Amino acid sequence: MTLLLLSAGTVLAPLLPGTIQTLKARMQGRRGPSPLQPYRELRRLWRKSRVAPAEASMVYRVAPPLVAACAVCAILVLPTGVDGPLGHDVLVLVGLLALARFAITLTSWDTGSGFALMGAARDLTIAVSVEVLLVLCLVLAALPAGSTDLNAMTAAASGTSIWFTPAHWCGLAGFALVAIAETGRQPIDNPDTHLELTMIHEGPLLEYAGRDLAYVQWAAAARHWIVLALTATLFLPHPADPLGSAAAIAVWMGAACLGLAFIETMVAKVRLLRVPVLLGAGSAIALIGLLSRAFA
Amino acid sequence: MFEGGLHPSFGVDPLSAFFLAVLATIAIPVLIYMRGYLRGTHHGAAVAALTLLFIGALVLVVTARDILTFLAGWELMTLIPAGIILVNCADRPTRRTAFIYLAITHVGGVGVWVTLLQLTFIGPPSGAIATGVFVAAALIGFGTKAGLMPFHSWLPRAHPSAPSPVSALMSGVMIKVALYGLIRVILASGINPVLWGEALLALGVLSAIGGVVYALFQRELKQLLAFHSIENIGIIAMGLGSWLLLEGQGQRFWGGVAFIAAMLHVLNHAVFKGLLFMGAGAIERATQAHDLDRVGGLLRRMPWTGGTFLIGSMAIAGLPPLNGFVSEWLTFQSLIHGAGLHGIYGVSCALAAAGLAATAALAVLCFVKVCGLVLLGAPRTDRARDAKEVAISMRIGMALLAGLCVLLGVAPGLWLSTLQGTGGLPAVWVFILITGLTALLAWVRGARTAAPAPAWTCGQTVQPSFDWTSSGFTKALRLSWQWLIRPQNEVAVVRSHAIVRSVTYRGDVPHLFDTALYSPLIKRASVWTGQIRRLQSGSLRTYSIYLSALVVFALALLRLGLL
Repeated sequence: MTLLLLSAGTVLAPLLPGTIQTLKARMQGRRGPSPLQPYRELRRLWRKSRVAPAEASMVYRVAPPLVAACAVCAILVLPTGVDGPLGHDVLVLVGLLALARFAITLTSWDTGSGFALMGAARDLTIAVSVEVLLVLCLVLAALPAGSTDLNAMTAAASGTSIWFTPAHWCGLAGFALVAIAETGRQPIDNPDTHLELTMIHEGPLLEYAGRDLAYVQWAAAARHWIVLALTATLFLPHPADPLGSAAAIAVWMGAACLGLAFIETMVAKVRLLRVPVLLGAGSAIALIGLLSRAFA
Repeated sequence: MFEGGLHPSFGVDPLSAFFLAVLATIAIPVLIYMRGYLRGTHHGAAVAALTLLFIGALVLVVTARDILTFLAGWELMTLIPAGIILVNCADRPTRRTAFIYLAITHVGGVGVWVTLLQLTFIGPPSGAIATGVFVAAALIGFGTKAGLMPFHSWLPRAHPSAPSPVSALMSGVMIKVALYGLIRVILASGINPVLWGEALLALGVLSAIGGVVYALFQRELKQLLAFHSIENIGIIAMGLGSWLLLEGQGQRFWGGVAFIAAMLHVLNHAVFKGLLFMGAGAIERATQAHDLDRVGGLLRRMPWTGGTFLIGSMAIAGLPPLNGFVSEWLTFQSLIHGAGLHGIYGVSCALAAAGLAATAALAVLCFVKVCGLVLLGAPRTDRARDAKEVAISMRIGMALLAGLCVLLGVAPGLWLSTLQGTGGLPAVWVFILITGLTALLAWVRGARTAAPAPAWTCGQTVQPSFDWTSSGFTKALRLSWQWLIRPQNEVAVVRSHAIVRSVTYRGDVPHLFDTALYSPLIKRASVWTGQIRRLQSGSLRTYSIYLSALVVFALALLRLGLL
C-alpha cells in the first residue's frame, strides 16, 4: 500500500500542475498545453547539461537531489492506512518541507544572483505567516483525533459528524490558504511569471539547468501532490472505508486543481506586503475555530 | 528544598546529574578548542584558568544542597564571566558592557535571594499577594540570569564581549543552570503549577519570537547568536510551561513528555549553540571580521569550520534529521496535546504552538542569511579570500559537537518512533532515507560536471557592488512587520544648485526593549538615586548622627515590642 502510494505520488505529481495549466487556459479561452506538458519538460531537461556559477560550492550541487529526496520522504509520510517506514506524523512532514525550503533558498546565496536572493527572501518571509497558519490548522485537525498521526487524523475527519463542529469549517478555510501558498499559486505567487522581479518560488531556481532543474521542477510538482492530498484527507469530506476514501480523495484532488485554476483566473496576485495580512486573516479564522472548540 | 545551616552540603539527584552531563558534554569540546583558540593571545593563561574556575562554579551551583553554597556558587557563576571579559579586553566599551552585565544580573539576582530565603527559612508562600510576589520574584530572579524576555537586556551585550569558548559555556550551560534553579523553586514552592505554567508559556513565546526577530537584524555574528540564545531559552520555557499546565490539569503522561522535551532542548541547544559560538570564534580568527556583510565564501576555504557551522545552523533552525528538530518536535507535540485542554489552557497552548511555528520559520530565515553571508558565494573582502583553516584542536572541538548534533538527532528515534498520540518520529529512518535518497539521486544525475557560467544579472557583468547584504535579505520581513518592530530609516540628500552631491542612508532596527522599556526606567532610577545620594555627604559627623539615629530607632522599636 505504501509502495503503491509512493509510486502514485512520484509518478502522478507532475500531472497536477499540468492539469491546472490546461484548465486555466480553457477558462481563459485558450487551447493551452496538454496536462502531460510537465512530463515533456522533465524529459527535455533530463537531456540537457547542467550549469554552475563560478563561485558555487557543495551546497549548490547537493541542493537539487536533497530537495527531491525531501519530497519523496514527504510523500512517504502521507496517510496510507498502514505503517510506513517513516511513520505518518504530520510534523515530520512539515519538517521535511522546511528542510527542502532551507536547501533551495541557501543556493541563492551560493549563486549570488540578486534575483534568486530576492525570491528566496520573499519565500522565507511568506513562510513565517504560512507556518503559523499551517500549525493552527493542524492543531484543529489533530484535536478530534487526539493524535498527530495522519492516519488517525484522516479517520477522524471521515464521515459526516465532524461537519457539525464549526472548528472543522474554520480549519478548512485556513488550510485552503495554506494550499495556495505552499503550491506557490495566485494570489500569493505566480508560477507562470517570466519576470524575475516578481518571482518568489521560481527565483532561487533561476541558475539551475538540465537534470538539476528537472529535480527541483519535479519537487515543486510533488509539493502540489503533498499539499492537495493533505487538504483532501484532513479537511474535505470522505467516507471511512479505505477504498471509498481513496476514490473520494482522488476526486477532491481533481476538484482542487479546478479550484486553483479558477482562483488563478479570477484573482490577481496581491502585493507582497499584503500577503502576511491575507494569511493573518486565515490565522484569525483558525483561531476562532480553536476558541469555539476550547469553550464548547 | 535547601538546608538552611552553615555547613556546606552537596548531593546529586537525577536533575542535577542531567545538568552536570550537559556541562560535561560542552566543557570537554570547549576546553579542547580553547587550546588552539588561546594560543598567541594576551592573557591566554589567565582566561584559561578563569574558565576552569567558571566550570567549577557551575558544578557548585548544580550540586549544592544548602542555601549558602548555592548562593555562593550563583554569585561566582555571575562574577567570573565578568572577570574573563575584562581580562580578555579592558577597553572602555568592554568595561561598560561588564558593568551593565553585573548591574542587571545583580538587580535581577535579588529575586533569587528572596525566593530562596523564603523557601528555606519561612516555607512556601500562602495567600494571594505573597504567592504573586513570590512568583514574580522567582521569574525575575532566575529569568534575568536565563535571559528570558523582557529581562534579557544583559545577554546580547555580554556574550559577544567574552572570548568565543566562554560564550559557548555561558550560552550553552550558564543560562540553563538558571532554569535548573527555577525548576527546583517551582517544585518546592507548592504553588498551583497552572499559574507557573501560564506565566512561563507567555514569557517563553515572547522570548522565542522576540529573540529571533532581533537576531535577524544584528550585523555581528556573535550578537546574532546571543539573541538566538534568548529564542531557545524561550522554546525551553514553552516546554516547561506546557509541562506545568498538563501536570496541573492531571495529564501526567503528556506532562512528562513536555518535561522531557524541555530537557532535551536544554541539551540540544547547549550542543549546537556551543558549536556555533566556536565556529564564530574560528571565523573571527581566520578573517578578523566582525561584520556579517564582510565575510563570504568560507565553506570552500575553511571546509571544517564551514561544514560544522552549516550543521550547527541546520540544527538550530530545527531541521530534520538533526537534534534541534527532535526537541522542537517534542515541544510541538506537548503543546498540541496541551491544546486539547479545556478553556483558556487549551487556547494558550495552541497559541504557543503557533508562536513556536513562527519562531522555527524565522530561525530558518535567519540561518539561511547567516550561512549564505558567511559561508557561500564569493568572498567579500581580501581577508576572507585569504582565509586559512584554523588550528587542529579548534577543528576537533567543533567536529565533536557537530557529530553530537547528528547523533542526538538520530538516536532519539529509537524511543520516539512509537510514541502514542503521535505518528512517531523514526529519526533513524528519516536520516537514512534523506541521506540515502540524496546520494542515490545525485548518482543518477551522473558524474558529468556542470558547465561554469556567471550568475544571471540581466546581461551585466557580475560586480561586488551587486552583493546582497544582511539588511537586504531581511527587507521583506522588515517591511511587512514594520508595525511591530518599528525600523528607523534616515535618508540625507545634500544638493547644491539642484544637483545631488551626496546621499547618505542609515537604517536601523532599534531594540524596543532598550529604547521603550529600560531607558525611561534607568533615567527615572538615576533621578531617584540622585536624591538618595544627598544622604552621602562624606562628612564623618553626619555618618555618626546616622549611626546614633539608627541605634535610637532600634531601641525605640524594641521598647515598643515591635522587634
